[in-house]
Amino acid sequence: MSRQIDRRAFLRRGAAGAAALAVGPGLLAACSTDGTDSARKPGSGSSHRSGGTLRAAFVGGGASETLDFFNGPSALDLVRARAWHGTLGNLDPSGPDGVRYGVLKGIDISDDLSAYTLHVRPGVRFTDGSELTSADILHSLSGLAAKSKLPVYRLAAANFDLARARAEGDLKVVLPTLRPIADGRLILCQGNFLVVKDGTRDFREGMPSCGPFRLTEFAAGQGSAFERYDDHYGHVPHLDGLELRSIADSTARAGALTGGEIDFAHDLSPVTARTLADDAKAELAPTKSPYLVGLSFQLNMSAKPFDDPRVREAFKLAVDREAMVKTVFYGNAEIGNDLPSIGFPDYADGIPQRAHDPERARELLQEAGADGMKVRLTTGPETPGMVETATLFVEDLKKIGVRASVRELPAGQLYADFPAYSALPLAGSYQMPIPALSTYQMNTAGGSPSAFGWKKSGTDALVARARAESDQARAKKLGTRAQRTRWEEGNQVLPVFKPNLNARAKGVDGIPDDLFEQFPGFSRASLA
Amino acid sequence: MNLLAFAARRLAGAAVLLVLLSAAVFAATAVLPGDAVSAVAGVDASEAQRAEVRAGLGLDRPAAERYADWAAGAVRGDLGNGFVGERPVTDVLATRLPNSLLLAGLTLAVTAPLAALLGLWTGLRGGGADRVVSTSAQILAAVPEFVVAALLVAVLAVWLEVLPRVSVIPLGGTPLDAPHALVLPVLTLSAVGLAVATRLLRASVADAAATPYCEAARLNGVRGVRLAVRHILPNAAGPAVQALTLTTGALVGSAVVVENVFDYPGIGRELQLAVAARDVPMVQGIATALVAVMLVVLLLGDICARLLGAREGDDR
Repeated sequence: MSRQIDRRAFLRRGAAGAAALAVGPGLLAACSTDGTDSARKPGSGSSHRSGGTLRAAFVGGGASETLDFFNGPSALDLVRARAWHGTLGNLDPSGPDGVRYGVLKGIDISDDLSAYTLHVRPGVRFTDGSELTSADILHSLSGLAAKSKLPVYRLAAANFDLARARAEGDLKVVLPTLRPIADGRLILCQGNFLVVKDGTRDFREGMPSCGPFRLTEFAAGQGSAFERYDDHYGHVPHLDGLELRSIADSTARAGALTGGEIDFAHDLSPVTARTLADDAKAELAPTKSPYLVGLSFQLNMSAKPFDDPRVREAFKLAVDREAMVKTVFYGNAEIGNDLPSIGFPDYADGIPQRAHDPERARELLQEAGADGMKVRLTTGPETPGMVETATLFVEDLKKIGVRASVRELPAGQLYADFPAYSALPLAGSYQMPIPALSTYQMNTAGGSPSAFGWKKSGTDALVARARAESDQARAKKLGTRAQRTRWEEGNQVLPVFKPNLNARAKGVDGIPDDLFEQFPGFSRASLA
Repeated sequence: MNLLAFAARRLAGAAVLLVLLSAAVFAATAVLPGDAVSAVAGVDASEAQRAEVRAGLGLDRPAAERYADWAAGAVRGDLGNGFVGERPVTDVLATRLPNSLLLAGLTLAVTAPLAALLGLWTGLRGGGADRVVSTSAQILAAVPEFVVAALLVAVLAVWLEVLPRVSVIPLGGTPLDAPHALVLPVLTLSAVGLAVATRLLRASVADAAATPYCEAARLNGVRGVRLAVRHILPNAAGPAVQALTLTTGALVGSAVVVENVFDYPGIGRELQLAVAARDVPMVQGIATALVAVMLVVLLLGDICARLLGAREGDDR
């Protein structure tokens, strides 16, 4: 369970990136414009001690951890950056545009959906005293993010012409879109667009930044230390300091938490989390929707018999989703409906939940002449629960007469050998929380290799139309239609959404208030 | 042949071996399925993006050319930068290798004297004590490290609460800044090493004790500690020293289980991470450094064995 991979966080982050929301905290900028600030003060009624140093532990990425979050794939790289830098914004379902802005005051969209205007929040200061201007945002977007190889930033590059972004005066950045999109705010304010000072090339301790904390120490693979930035825009953290540690093993993170050596443990395995249930000093704090990771199985439509929609449907009907939630996650998970991105505004929540119907599944297989078919499910320990879920799926398949077996690859190999991965007949994978339609365009549309043979130009066009529709009700309708096709004919079985099973010492509060829980921020956190 | 010449010859041999093994490591990374592109560019990168990243990392060049480049840099002390995170490999070695050496050294310091004591006692005494110790050693040697670790944690950290559960070391510090954090990892590693070394030593002590010259010494009135330390140990220690050096050398890079369980910042876990991410320069640099450490440790072991009285003619 140590799962470096977790490290693999890189994926997570990548994806997440995509999806994610952003750095929330700082961002709270929005408060000035939407008045949510007071509402977000942690824990009304309870008294929080101001100050103290919160110590949190993450999987980390060993020696490959880097301060350059544009090129650092581990989840901790992004968490560290969230504490250190200001953000464009975070997704916030309760916010006016569905986002909570950070160093921005707001984002205007041109009527023809061809350009987004980012309005800089005046008065944001870097730690060296200089004021944040459009030049800094421009540099971060078109200088750094545009060159990043991380998937997170590719999502933006797939929607916006980052290289042609331009500043208009000190407080405005104009960002042209590559094709008309109405949901661009959700992409720019996913939480991973952080802003550094114009001209920044090397990331090092002591460089000026404008996040809630300032970095005082960094040792890759070991940890980093921060102190509060008292001139932080919008919302000055309660904490005096913050320490982010790398502890790779899930049990070791839990042990450090119960031993009082840390106050927050990120992403425990389901079994470890269960051992904390009776602990007097710690409590579980799983992330909430939409910050849930989907565990999925891809059926390869280029391989027989998955080219037959009846076989695909049979595989979807065969899964006992309840059992997975109970057995693998001890109830700490949500049932999936074979569609990614649960909890996001563009997720098609109107589609009925797929039933567990092994009888019907067996009939469908017979109709398709595929009863008794043989298939091997390949997966790997890339995130906690993945292999366990695959094992249960194989058992479910055996019950409908499929001669199924599971093959577990060593950590890291599943995605490292990508051509082999995308040629698998049946692959166990996972989906980061990212808005539904943009993730479809990036990963599935146009016969992308990660689409496993799904190639429907009609659906692709429908998604593009939904994203280019300013009228929200109509956009939702179009988006739902597209997802309905995926639900009916698609080649993805997605039975479970699991939270990040985080745990905190009793009395630690306010972490979810920072949004983008996948990569927790601590600007609103407090100790008991 | 004097010791210096012996060491020089062995060093030269080790250097040749190091070159050969570094090539073997490189070949192994080349045949591992997959490459670092997914780790760098993400799973869902398009073919064009993959090709670009592959070219950027230099992975599109022939393996022989990449190895030659790497070797040319390595000779100058430049082991390159990791693909993931782009950190210089020498940096990683400089921060992690000393921690692993410390762990292995402390384990040796605990294991060697205890093994000598137990081996002599059981080998000379025989009887009930021998059976108890030998059987326990056999059981201990068979128990996987993570089970030993879990037992020690359960007793010392959870139940008695005398030691920390994980090795949380102060930022920017070394394990020596938090010595109590070293106790559990060293105990875990020592348990298995001790069991194996005790068994080996016991056998050779029993052999040595049965030799005619020991009999002669005994008849001459040499007994007890003097007999054991002066006459038996030097003759019995040879094989045990070799075995200890082998396990100690191997500990430097392969204490991954213990490093993970206790979150000890050693080099083994870095190697494991690098392999998972197919980070070739990191794998190559760390593996070559570990090979070098192993060769040096083996050389030291041979010198020890020689000083302990290996025959003159035996100068492989």
